[in-house]
Amino acid sequence: MKNGFVIFLAAFGVVLTSWCAFVLGPQLQLGGAKQVPVLNSSDVYPLNRPGEAAQGLQIYRANGCAACHTEQVQQDGVACEVVLTSAGKRNPAGVSNLVSTLKLTGLTELEAEAASDKITAAGGKAETHISATGVDISRGWGLRHSVAEDFLYDYPVQLGSVRVGPDLADVGRRLPDANWQMLHLYAPRSTVTGSAMPPFRYLFETKKKVNGESSPDALNFPKGFEPAAGYEVVPTSDAKKLVAYLLSLHADVPLYDAPFTQLSASTNAPAK
Amino acid sequence: MSDETKSCSTPSNPEPAAERSHLPMWIVLVMLTLLYLGGIYFDHHSGWFDKQVYSPYANAAMLESYQPQSGAGAILMQGKKTYEAICGTCHGADGLGKFNQAPALAGSDWVTAKGHNRLAHVPLLGLNGPITINGQQMSFPTGMAAMGAVLSDADLAAVLTYIRSSWGNKAAEVTADDIKAVRASMKTKLPPLTYEQVMALPE
Amino acid sequence: MTVNDTKQIDASCRVPLLVLFGGAAAWLVAGSVMALLASLTFHMPDKFGDCSWVTYGHLQPAADDALLYGFCIPAGLGVALWIFARLGQVPLRGAIVPVVAAHLWHLGVLVGLVGIFIGDSTGFQWLEFPRGGSALLFFAYLLLGLWAMMNFSGRRDSGMFPSHWFLITALFLFPWIYSTANILIVGWPVRGVVQAIIAWWFGNNLVFLWTSLVGLGAAFYFLPKFSGRPLRSYYYALFAFWTLIIFGSMRGVPVGAPVPAWLPVLSSLNSLMLVIPVVAIAIIGWKTVVGGTGPECKGGSFCMIKFGFVAFILSALLVIAQACPQIGRLTQFTWFGAAQTQLQLYGFFAITMFGAIYYILPRAVGFEFRYPKLIRVQHWCAMIGIILFVASLVIGGVMQGLKLQDPNVAFNDSTKAMLPFLRASTTGLLFLLLANLLFALNIFTMIIAWKWSVAKAVFAFVVSPLAKSEVKA
Repeated sequence: MKNGFVIFLAAFGVVLTSWCAFVLGPQLQLGGAKQVPVLNSSDVYPLNRPGEAAQGLQIYRANGCAACHTEQVQQDGVACEVVLTSAGKRNPAGVSNLVSTLKLTGLTELEAEAASDKITAAGGKAETHISATGVDISRGWGLRHSVAEDFLYDYPVQLGSVRVGPDLADVGRRLPDANWQMLHLYAPRSTVTGSAMPPFRYLFETKKKVNGESSPDALNFPKGFEPAAGYEVVPTSDAKKLVAYLLSLHADVPLYDAPFTQLSASTNAPAK
Repeated sequence: MSDETKSCSTPSNPEPAAERSHLPMWIVLVMLTLLYLGGIYFDHHSGWFDKQVYSPYANAAMLESYQPQSGAGAILMQGKKTYEAICGTCHGADGLGKFNQAPALAGSDWVTAKGHNRLAHVPLLGLNGPITINGQQMSFPTGMAAMGAVLSDADLAAVLTYIRSSWGNKAAEVTADDIKAVRASMKTKLPPLTYEQVMALPE
Repeated sequence: MTVNDTKQIDASCRVPLLVLFGGAAAWLVAGSVMALLASLTFHMPDKFGDCSWVTYGHLQPAADDALLYGFCIPAGLGVALWIFARLGQVPLRGAIVPVVAAHLWHLGVLVGLVGIFIGDSTGFQWLEFPRGGSALLFFAYLLLGLWAMMNFSGRRDSGMFPSHWFLITALFLFPWIYSTANILIVGWPVRGVVQAIIAWWFGNNLVFLWTSLVGLGAAFYFLPKFSGRPLRSYYYALFAFWTLIIFGSMRGVPVGAPVPAWLPVLSSLNSLMLVIPVVAIAIIGWKTVVGGTGPECKGGSFCMIKFGFVAFILSALLVIAQACPQIGRLTQFTWFGAAQTQLQLYGFFAITMFGAIYYILPRAVGFEFRYPKLIRVQHWCAMIGIILFVASLVIGGVMQGLKLQDPNVAFNDSTKAMLPFLRASTTGLLFLLLANLLFALNIFTMIIAWKWSVAKAVFAFVVSPLAKSEVKA
């Protein structure tokens, strides 16, 4: 091809297509998104983060927390489980026997319907519960996959790209204790043994106790990690805002695009 | 020039040239095959650009099938859909009404009244003339037609349940049987109603 | 073209290249130091807790940006300028403008990096520089790109060599993606996850596509030059160019992201389609180099460009692997991604740039490097370093992924399992730092030698005896 202009025009067209697909398209689809209704309720989601939490997002950004933590839960699929609600009056012993022979967890929908029908035919009553499945959900990192609405009011959206530390999308539900969060920031290894997280001591102040009494904000340390006698560790306002933000991180309401948020009986959440 | 940076180009023509042999067809064929297979994968997994379909759901139909089908949630969803299709143009999707067109339903004492009888009559027979809501006199140039007359008992019940529990309203649900009873009691009344006629009805 | 013409063309690029490459070398070393410190956080975390400047969340993004914006882009622009001048057989005119632009660029990088350390990072990967820094970078790039295009339009032969297509596309790609990303994410932010989608689009187009275009443009110029054979072939390169930009630009959204499913699916499909341009590019490289009469591989420019070329193929294969659903699920959120990025930016792009700069700079400036033997040492250190870094994190990333995917394994165990691999990668970073220092040594000594020669020439002029005609009675 000899003509530089032709090359430029065609390459321009290719980049324009990519721009349309990944900039214009998503902006048209999601750029005007508003609050959405919560399933089985007249509430809307999400609500604006309270002021301190919104400022905490800026502290999160400024310290580059997204370099190690993600805020996106993933889901691999759904699983049904059938739960016996009543053994019925006709043949309760037979129904109980039947239930003990059937597989009732980790079913597909068709399997769940078949099992439910069998129980009903035997005279009992059963309910089908559907829950989200996935490794993140089994770990207790979330109840459902993250969706666009979870980040509607956030600027900047801090999705993260690598899990040097655990996912934080639902950490406000999983670790709601402010003192634990503060301790984890000040001395990560006091809360999680063997953690690779660097401490953020510059977000705190160590000062002498006033009249030998701890101030209300002071951190409660576990044994072995307390500061020197007569001293206490107090969070700065940055630390308070950051913890407020972390505690505001919830992604646990059911929405149209993520309808399942019950944990099934079989999904146990082991150590995070 | 040092060894490491020597090149074999001759001084008279140091710039590289490109040989013009033809591109073999096999690579184009492989590309086209991969594009075809990719298209199939896209068809199965992408939800066809639907903005509500996220992985792991494969398409909009599957997602719709997972929505709550029964129970209070389903009734609210159904009521919301019907409301937005039929009532929302005048009363607003946010229930705040439209000036000179329709009153607000959010916080209205008509909607949150303990009994549903008076409320149910309005969509079934329509309403004209000046009315009083929350103690305030209002009048609208055009009245309300009997917008709910064509709805089934279940649908109208769902709409009324929806407006009675949205936008801060908190009132008891209305069942399909309730609407059936209202319709049965309506035989001697003619549309459209006036405010005095509605107030004359039992609550 | 006569030898004198070539010398004139080379000399016309002298000062812009010295500024571009000199600053690039400095940022390369700075970025290496920051990356090493960031890596040490995992081995001695408690030492990094007292000062906000050395927290990992500042060091790692700063190290990445110093490598990309501080070294890769200016080095690539310098090499592109020179290749345009040589291919078009027209010297670079008005060199003062690229010189000023290069200084502006380096100032922008400084402003941006300082911004990250004081906490003004924007929060998006590869886009962390605050507004002041990014504005400087944008204008500097526009000037440099404009100068390259002016030189291109004045070329003697109206035909184009494959390198032209790659480099021209890269030239206009950056201002487009950079302005879009900065306007829609930093300036007037879009709502919610759209910010993340645009950031991913930008990151892919810059880190993958732009570096591939410039690196391949340089490789397609130098490989035939060194091997003594023509590029094989023109139409293969054309095919590779089109498929690379079509598939390479339409990807970037990770699997399972909290966005509607069509985005990651589209992205994965295009990543998988990259196998086509990768195969085409591999065939071009093979046919052009194998059987040629090039200089023996003794750690010089030819060696570096060949190594970079192979690194590109491997890096693209890692990208394609990550797009396969099973492998992608395993390796997402692990160190695998960081390994692939480093392989692309350093293993492919930086090492190709080293090879190009070692060839170009002595010709542009007019004298040899002060320590030519260190070039081979540098090459070995860079090779060992990048192989150690990438291999340890690829294997480690897979191990980490296997543990992360098993819900019965506590999360902490996955991080503990990574420690030996992180030690290996830190060692790799040490080798890379050494390589970068050796590179910078040669560049800086050349700059000093040039400045000294300019100073001597000025001094000689000032003290030379006046001609009789100039002496007033």
